Amino acid sequence: MDSINLNAFAENASRLGLRIQESISEHTRDLNITRGAGNIFDMADDKVKNIGKQLDSSSDREKLDAMKRLIALISKGRNVSNYFPQVVKNVASQNLEIRKLVYIYLLRYAEQEPDLALLSINTFQKDLADPSPLIRAMALRVLSGIKVPMITSVVVLAIKKCAADTSPYVRKASALAIPKCYELDSSQQPTLITVIQSLLCDRSPLSIGSAVTAFEAVCPTRLDLLHLQYRRLCRILVDVDEWGQVDLSNLLMRYARTMLPKPIVSQDQDSNEEVDPDLQLLLSSAEPLLQSRNPAVVLAVTRVIYYCGPPSYGAKIVKPLLRLLGMSKAIERVTLVYIHKIVRFYPILFSSHYMRFFLRSEDAREVKKSKIQLLMGITTLDNYQAILRELIDAAEDVDDEVVGSAIHAIGFCVQLLPSTTPQCLSALTSLIKTKHDIVVSKAVVVLKSLVQNQLSSSATNTEVLQSPISIVSQLAKRVDDIRHFEAKACVIWLVGQYCATQGGSGVVEGVADWAPDVLRKSAKTFASENVTVKLQVLSLAAKLVALSPAHKTIGQISQYVFDLGRYDMNYDVRDRRRMLVALLSGISEYVTDEDSDATSQGGIVLRREQVIRVLIDGKAGVLEIERPDVGQHLIGSLSLVTGKDMQGDEILPEWLESGIDPSLRQVEEETTIKVEAPRAISSHRPSNSAPTPVVLTEASAHPQEKKDWRNLDDFYAENEEEGGQEQSEEEESDEEDEEESGDSEDEDEELGTEDSEETEDGESEDHLEHDSSNHVNHTVESI
Amino acid sequence: MAIDGLIILDSTGRPIIQSGYTSYPPGYPILHVDALNTELSKCARAKDVDPVIYVGPGIGDLRGSACCHVEVGGMRILASVSRDADPLVAFAFLQAFVDVLVDYFGTVNAATLKDNFDTVYQLLEETLDSSGHPLTTSPNALRDIVLPPSLITKLIASIAPSGPSPASGRTGAGSLAGAGAGAAFASPIPWRKAGVRHNHNEILFDVVEDMCATIGRNGATLSSLVWGKIECNAKLSGTPDLTMTFTNPTVMTNCAFHPCVRLQRWSRDKVFSFVPPDGQFVIAEYQYGPPHGALSGNVPVPIAFKANVTTDENEGSFTLTISSKLSTKPMENVIIEHYLGEDSTGAQCSTSSSGTGLGTVGGAEGSWMYDHHKHVLRWEIPNLTTSGSWSLRGSWTSKSKTPRPDRTYSIKFDIPSYTFSALKVDQLRLSSEAYKMYKGVRGRSKGSIEWRW
Repeated sequence: MDSINLNAFAENASRLGLRIQESISEHTRDLNITRGAGNIFDMADDKVKNIGKQLDSSSDREKLDAMKRLIALISKGRNVSNYFPQVVKNVASQNLEIRKLVYIYLLRYAEQEPDLALLSINTFQKDLADPSPLIRAMALRVLSGIKVPMITSVVVLAIKKCAADTSPYVRKASALAIPKCYELDSSQQPTLITVIQSLLCDRSPLSIGSAVTAFEAVCPTRLDLLHLQYRRLCRILVDVDEWGQVDLSNLLMRYARTMLPKPIVSQDQDSNEEVDPDLQLLLSSAEPLLQSRNPAVVLAVTRVIYYCGPPSYGAKIVKPLLRLLGMSKAIERVTLVYIHKIVRFYPILFSSHYMRFFLRSEDAREVKKSKIQLLMGITTLDNYQAILRELIDAAEDVDDEVVGSAIHAIGFCVQLLPSTTPQCLSALTSLIKTKHDIVVSKAVVVLKSLVQNQLSSSATNTEVLQSPISIVSQLAKRVDDIRHFEAKACVIWLVGQYCATQGGSGVVEGVADWAPDVLRKSAKTFASENVTVKLQVLSLAAKLVALSPAHKTIGQISQYVFDLGRYDMNYDVRDRRRMLVALLSGISEYVTDEDSDATSQGGIVLRREQVIRVLIDGKAGVLEIERPDVGQHLIGSLSLVTGKDMQGDEILPEWLESGIDPSLRQVEEETTIKVEAPRAISSHRPSNSAPTPVVLTEASAHPQEKKDWRNLDDFYAENEEEGGQEQSEEEESDEEDEEESGDSEDEDEELGTEDSEETEDGESEDHLEHDSSNHVNHTVESI
Repeated sequence: MAIDGLIILDSTGRPIIQSGYTSYPPGYPILHVDALNTELSKCARAKDVDPVIYVGPGIGDLRGSACCHVEVGGMRILASVSRDADPLVAFAFLQAFVDVLVDYFGTVNAATLKDNFDTVYQLLEETLDSSGHPLTTSPNALRDIVLPPSLITKLIASIAPSGPSPASGRTGAGSLAGAGAGAAFASPIPWRKAGVRHNHNEILFDVVEDMCATIGRNGATLSSLVWGKIECNAKLSGTPDLTMTFTNPTVMTNCAFHPCVRLQRWSRDKVFSFVPPDGQFVIAEYQYGPPHGALSGNVPVPIAFKANVTTDENEGSFTLTISSKLSTKPMENVIIEHYLGEDSTGAQCSTSSSGTGLGTVGGAEGSWMYDHHKHVLRWEIPNLTTSGSWSLRGSWTSKSKTPRPDRTYSIKFDIPSYTFSALKVDQLRLSSEAYKMYKGVRGRSKGSIEWRW
């Protein structure tokens, strides 16, 4: 009995336990959802099994949950394409949130499941007629994003339909769909071009940016399509959205370089500039955008001005570009490269702003290096003092690469402005006295080329001549402190090259006092030196022997060095030694070659003067310290920033000899265009908004609007068949919009009275007080 | 000229969220993630990582590409670009995207993004076209399209048992139009929502000025600039058309504006004429041009600092003194940092102050610490009053025989209710709407000075 009871009890207990567990898990799942999607993101794998079941469920909540899980899996890089059939079923869901997630899923996997993706097409086609512009735009976006070649004709139809939509947002979506459709099927190009043309005529600035993108993708070379639109596009540039401004500026720049005459600068003293009125229009429309908060826009306008503008416009881009430097570290990094490119051709623009390029220790390495290069580029007689001081400071940076470029730049300074030589040399010699190996070695290498240049170029100028020799002597005395092999090799080379003296005033005849000691010291450490140093030590020994063949000690030390070189592990060293010994064998009794006794007596033996010629003369070639290369890439291209060819295909068009006939751009509608921007912006104003017009660009109305449109139509009917057809479509839609145009006239009247309203308002002036006492809260003044 | 895709990485370098990359080889995003992680591990100091990293060509792709990345809230957001793309567009977009995230979630870090990853995906879809062109990045327009997560929507979602979602429930009749769909795209002004209603109309401005200066070792100011930013928080109903005038607009030079500001009015009358977006935005940025801007246009630095540093074998010692030059406002959160070099191993210091009127209670003397990971010595003074001076005396040790500390001290400070430019708003007029509004302006300043010794 007892045992049975016990069994029953245990069974009940375990059942109860299961129940509790179940209900707890039920509850926690609810809790999870309340807390957010975080746990969905990091869910355990066993939950994945349920997704299929959830997608088939009738509950929106379950479906939403499943879609979120799917997106989370995509995020983790899993392939979840096997759920495609179940997801497609939900494409017509009534819940907008589910739908958006379904769209995201579809766009990622439709390419892999073209047949199943076709199932969803119907829904999208239906959605294209939805009253909400958001749904229409989304439907087109997804439709064009499904990369199934079979549906191109459907997509083209949809694009055409949406391009004539009443909502500018949908027209924008239609423009965005064009490049995708073209990518799928390039044979649709003619149709798409006509759509692009109509979109470029759009009266709302909203969709212009995307239309330009489509133009660049489908028919980038058909700049002739822009003739009639050019002036209008220039005028509405300021009203286009930020990202559109970037694309539109680039397009207009290309148009100007291809179609307009180059600005002519006369060579007179007053250097008059002759700028084509159409180019002037582009420049003056773009210029206000230099005040954009978006760095990409500022750069796009900079490109327009830099590549199209006359020199007098150059000064306008300076301050906005300098402003970009303060925006963020990353933007500073990129902008510096662009400024550097500009500085290469117009150093004068930035030379008075040199303080802006002083190094900050918080700068990244790349930024510091670009700043140094920039400083090199803008050095002039007026600012070199400050720049040189900055470079010397920079040479004490903690980053070796930065130190290297700073010292290199100091050397460049001398080359650019020879009058700075004494300062630069003293700066470099003081750097050699520092304790940091890297600094010393870099300084020595630059010093070497400077000394070499000085001695070879200004041999007549004895005043300057004296100082480099004394530098060599200083280096010679410090040879022990110089540890870096490259630097040491430089010093030894310099010593050998410039130790010759006239007359026998010194201890050793024909050789400066400090030279033999260098040989002695290096002979001691010869065995442990780097190959580069060994080669230079051998050369030094040979030079000294050639200069002073009779001196016993030099001869003996040299023989010691040559002996070491003979048995060196490196064959370059052995070869060098063999050559030098052979050269010297005729002039010094101390240097002999054991090998040659028997075999090579027959060779030519040079005289001492000849040996000196071979060893020392003709080596003092002028070494150019090079400017860093800026490459051929355009401002605003990735290649310029990475310093590598990214194989982009953007080419700056060359100016034409003379521009094309400006009458091609002559549009009689021109006068009417001015009012278009404001009209379009306010045409879809909801009824509940305030009556005051919102005018993006202030402009005046023109009474002859309608007549001009008629004239334009006539113009097209006569001249172009294809274009005329399309323009008449345009005309139709225009007449449909007549109500709106009536609206716009009203608004323009109101605009005229706006000023007087303001003055009325002005009577009750409300002054804002600056808060000075309480900084925790805003001081709020009630009125 | 486009962005190939966008990836958000958590602090360990694992991707959390990434855009489609559908037209690229499958390995393409991984190449970029790897390139970034390699570069990050290579650089000893995080600041040295180049923001633009060249990524070599992958298998089956002959072109190289590049990865532009920024750090946000402990995460890295990277944008892949290739060919002719302008990295500046990528960075501008990353900035705009981060601004949108901040607008939606308040704080941006890995946890919030994981919690709201579905919203982030939707935002990504709306802000970056699959062809790589940025679309809508104005928060006002986005809020109509992608619903921001709020506690209420979440609660409703979890409470309502398997019924129709609140969105479709509300609109009812037939049309799909959810909560967003009806209002979306209805606004005539791209940056402002249509039909905004506030019970309490108010607009608040914050003038924030940031000084960025470098002082040479002789104590002379090498460069000193002040960048100003006017932040605005507008909660106004309808379509308010505002005109803001200043008593001294000339202190603002080299300005940049939010698209809502009419540029013509500014260049003609030096007034801000605008219809603001709803919510927070930066209306303008400017550079403070001092009135008697000498040749350099340098703004005087508000602190006096002296550093005496000597280095020896395996060690170094220093004495630092700092005091304020402002006569009216105290400075807060003064932080002085010095990078002691990769070889430094530790530091020992003592703080003192004199004539400050604060005594030594409550850490008024400041505190110091040495960060072994970054090799940075950090000295903090919570409140730098207008009188008195603070000093820090100490020494550090180094593994290297020749210690190589950084040649600059970096000094950061905040000055509440103070602006360098003394920019003053004269009046703010509202036309086109009839209601009264509350208005407020306040200023604050901060600075970052590098002082070479």
